Amino acid sequence: MKKTIGLLLLVLVLAIASSASAEVIKIGVFEPMTGPNAAGGEMTVEGIELALELRGEVLGRKVEIIVVDNKSDKVEAANAVSRLIEKDKVVAIIGSYGSSLSMAAGDIVNKAQVPTVGCSPTNPLVTLNNPYYFRVCFIDPFQGTVMANYAVNELGAKTAAVIQDVTQDYSVGLSKYFVDAFRELTGNQNSIVEMSSYNTGDQDFTAQLTNVKNKMPDIVFAPGNYGESALLIRQARELGIDVPFLGGDTWEAPEFLSIGGVAVEGAVFSTHFTSEAPVTEESEVFLAAYREKFGREANAFAALGYDAYMLILDVIEEAGSADSQAIRDGLAQTEGFVGATGVITLDANGDAVKSAVINQVDDGKFIYLTTVEPF
Amino acid sequence: MREKSKTHVTLIILVLTILGLFLANRYLDAYKIRIINLSGIYVTLGLSMNLINGMTGMFSLGHAGFMAIGAYTVGILTMPVSMKQMNFFMQPIVPFLANVEWGFLPALLAAGLIAALFGVLIGAPVLRLTDDYLAIATLGFAEIIRVVFTNTQSLTNGALGLKGIPNYTNTWWSWGVALVTMWFISFLMKGTYGKAFLAIREDEVAARAMGINLFKHKVMSFSFGCFFAGVAGGLMAALLGTIDPNMFRITLTFNILLIVVLGGLGKIGGTVIAAVVVTVMMEALRFLDESIDLGLVQIKGIPGMRMVVFSIILIFVVIVREKGFLKRTKGRELTYVKN
Repeated sequence: MKKTIGLLLLVLVLAIASSASAEVIKIGVFEPMTGPNAAGGEMTVEGIELALELRGEVLGRKVEIIVVDNKSDKVEAANAVSRLIEKDKVVAIIGSYGSSLSMAAGDIVNKAQVPTVGCSPTNPLVTLNNPYYFRVCFIDPFQGTVMANYAVNELGAKTAAVIQDVTQDYSVGLSKYFVDAFRELTGNQNSIVEMSSYNTGDQDFTAQLTNVKNKMPDIVFAPGNYGESALLIRQARELGIDVPFLGGDTWEAPEFLSIGGVAVEGAVFSTHFTSEAPVTEESEVFLAAYREKFGREANAFAALGYDAYMLILDVIEEAGSADSQAIRDGLAQTEGFVGATGVITLDANGDAVKSAVINQVDDGKFIYLTTVEPF
Repeated sequence: MREKSKTHVTLIILVLTILGLFLANRYLDAYKIRIINLSGIYVTLGLSMNLINGMTGMFSLGHAGFMAIGAYTVGILTMPVSMKQMNFFMQPIVPFLANVEWGFLPALLAAGLIAALFGVLIGAPVLRLTDDYLAIATLGFAEIIRVVFTNTQSLTNGALGLKGIPNYTNTWWSWGVALVTMWFISFLMKGTYGKAFLAIREDEVAARAMGINLFKHKVMSFSFGCFFAGVAGGLMAALLGTIDPNMFRITLTFNILLIVVLGGLGKIGGTVIAAVVVTVMMEALRFLDESIDLGLVQIKGIPGMRMVVFSIILIFVVIVREKGFLKRTKGRELTYVKN
């Protein structure tokens, strides 16, 4: 008798559980929560969680996000995504910080036909030849071109030196497109006077900087991790190189300021977003909510996570269905989506065509300089 | 009589594996199949490292480097021509590789052979070192490989990595290679070469006094190990479909070393079990990262919790296992441990 009651209870519980879960729309998130990229992954998840809090329902159904850690490791990233698809049966996926981690997921989401929206992987290869991968950030070619434009048109640079981190895909990508655009804009094939490389983890850049100093460029373009870049600029100032330093979105970190100190004053970089000058109404909503929840200013990665989530929900609402195929088709047609980081239109590759923000370090803070529209 | 029953056991294991794989392919989802594939690859990696470290007693930490060689060989050789053009958008690929598109088997063999060739080239000077010095030299080599691959933009696409490597790896490939490795190493260890490897592990001076050519046997063991590391690297590349130089960091070598030590230095069966257990556990413990809902109370998940628990289990296993296994392995300690 007891057994029967027990069984009945179990069935009842299971029935309730399953009827409740049938209503829930599951969105998977795979981000590096541990390992060397953990900081970036965590910021992105903060943004996604905030978005969930603000908008936890679509089509009258509850939304659930399932966060899995990819350990900043390619093999784990593939496992994590496979798990989201097979075990958790998610309808769409958000992730990941780090292009190489996103690429590890590419084949799996393509085969399983689950649409995936990347927040900040900027390597062009991520979405290439993959109809199920999209992203809400711009790609390296665009960022490199933007900085070359800024250098030539705003700073009036005639010559430039490039110092790249050869182990980081975005640094190599940015440099390449900066060089191409700079040569074209100046109309001078020899306008890049020096091109040198270093590796992640290097501490001493005097060899590269001495070469740069001898060539006397008008500006130095040095995209790289915030730690190495800050050290590099400090050493450059010590060597007496006083030309402007330009970089990419990775510089937007408090550590860049604390390591660089006064040396990084005046450094200019392109990024996705600024908390200072809200690009859209959505940015203001996001910024206020972020401040309230976390008690500090939001950064680009949180904003991109927020946008990725909101974009998926918008698409579900528009399509009137939370079916993976419907979401993919909806995403592919995204046009003029108003997000926290700007107005996003996805091109044929699934890459966002959107404006970039240029920030400068001034008095130990990041200040907003200008917004560059996509061409 | 004993030999005969051993053959029976081998046959039974073989049949059970094939049956297991057949059933797995039929009934399991893509996620579980992926874990099975990974287990197979780690079995090959564990065994190949055990041959060098456990059976011949050379403390080598270069496995990730040899895997990288294998992975890039398979990646570049099997990738369709159109995909290559897409990948190498920064700098075109070197002309002699631009139009190659090989099948999986020849590419895997090439991966193994090139890795083994590097094994011989590196081994010849480096294997004269022993103990920690050998460890440092091989570790350095693995790092050099990674740095070279990062800088050869027109050969490996540098830091951007390769994408779109055909997913040839399935359970038959991964476990087929694992079984071949198992068979080859146990065959090798039964013969005179194996005896010579063990003799070198126990005492190099005594082995030399017995007339064993130290150099020849060390290079042989090393390059066999590298061959299988290269093949496993190739399987990994085809499983993931994308590779980049940062994958092959020293942590990868340590993962394999963990399997070797856990399974028991010099033990084939132990390595196989350890490889499967470690791979499966890392995934099975994922629930620890998630939030736990106990109805009334909700415990928010802490990412990385599974690694903490995994480490605790490891420590526990090593302590218990050492007590249980020590007697049996006594007198077969590694030279570098004994000194």
